[in-house]
Amino acid sequence: MSPRGSTPVDAGLVRDLTLPHLDSAYNLARWLMGSPQDASDAVHTAFLRAARYVHTYAGGNARAWWLSIVRNCCLATLAARRPRDVSLDAMESDSAAALAATAPDEPEEKLHLAQSAALVMKHLEKLPPEFREVLVLREIEDASYREIGEILSVPIGTVMSRLSRARQMMRKALSAPPGVET
Amino acid sequence: MSRDMTCEAARPQLEAYLDGELDRATVDELEAHLGTCATCRAELASLETLRGALRALPRHRAPADLRARLAADGELPVASAARAAPAATWWKLAAAVLLGVFVGVGLMSVGPLGAGRGVGHGASELVAMRSRDLLASHLRALAANSAIDVVSEDRHTVKPWFAGRIGESPPVVDPKAEDFPLLGGRIDYVGDQRTAVVVYGHRKHVIDVFMTPGAEAPDAAASQSQGYALTPCVLSGQSAWIVSDIDADSLRRFTGLLGCG
Repeated sequence: MSPRGSTPVDAGLVRDLTLPHLDSAYNLARWLMGSPQDASDAVHTAFLRAARYVHTYAGGNARAWWLSIVRNCCLATLAARRPRDVSLDAMESDSAAALAATAPDEPEEKLHLAQSAALVMKHLEKLPPEFREVLVLREIEDASYREIGEILSVPIGTVMSRLSRARQMMRKALSAPPGVET
Repeated sequence: MSRDMTCEAARPQLEAYLDGELDRATVDELEAHLGTCATCRAELASLETLRGALRALPRHRAPADLRARLAADGELPVASAARAAPAATWWKLAAAVLLGVFVGVGLMSVGPLGAGRGVGHGASELVAMRSRDLLASHLRALAANSAIDVVSEDRHTVKPWFAGRIGESPPVVDPKAEDFPLLGGRIDYVGDQRTAVVVYGHRKHVIDVFMTPGAEAPDAAASQSQGYALTPCVLSGQSAWIVSDIDADSLRRFTGLLGCG
């Protein structure tokens, strides 16, 4: 609290760790938050947190360290916005129920290849955040399993199963006839 | 491992194969299997199609103003040397939120707030509506996971956090009193207005200071609603509302410490 008890943060270090990966940070935040303003706000918050906790960076993958902070800021905001469904477990079981509901008598899976990017985007936006984020990190940010595991603080096995379910959900959604909402 | 991989063994490996996460030996076995199994080839093709669709999506790039904001000097807070402070803040916050939820549960039946807004409201009705919106925002924050978006006891952290998020950066005053710690800040909605809220603590109570530039605060009267006091004031020339359930004496002391007009 007292200015005398404070030291200036190593601004150069914080910027070296975060700014080279600002696009990755913004892209992840943009997909999680949904709007440019909210994404910018989340990245800004994350940057201030990164500066405050820069002493916790222990070497290694700077992008993973920085994206994990960005992700946490996004999820905190999302949780505060929707106080009723903050439990990831609850979301997982909802998603599982949604999957189970669409699984039976699905015809031979065929993706509508010609589907516009807009439709793909819409379905990705509709995925629960914990499935959306692994797809964004893997396919758009080209992150490895190991890096995703670091960002989410989960084991690689969890990364693989979440990614697999996310892909399954996307394929189901995209193979549904146009106009049918799942 | 035998060279003849079964479909059961191959299926779970397809995604790791696609993602380039398989070791060389397994890749060889899997590719041998794919050479003879149309079903697994079709599955792989389906995964590749999805990949193509996802990789065609836009990668959002950080806007120039965000980049400039972060690169600017004066944007960085100072790191607190006292490492115990954040932990204490979290603890207090957790206690405050728990209590808030406890108290708030019985009060959440305030009904849809801000509904029925329209033209032709009298001044008193507008004030009543604002009071309702303020209280709703306060209770919502208490009931939510976190009443605070930026947690800090340091006003030099809280103030820059607001900059860029909201048109006018609010005055963040440190009361410099042990029992009224600055807890942090958040952006909230009062009615349909994005509003800066500076959050203080008092014992186990949370005090929200809503900065409401251009509102009718200065001549509005303090009011009481469901045990919460809503007090208008002027802080460094900006109109503001203080919402809390602390007792009247503490509230008077708090407004004095803030230097409320």
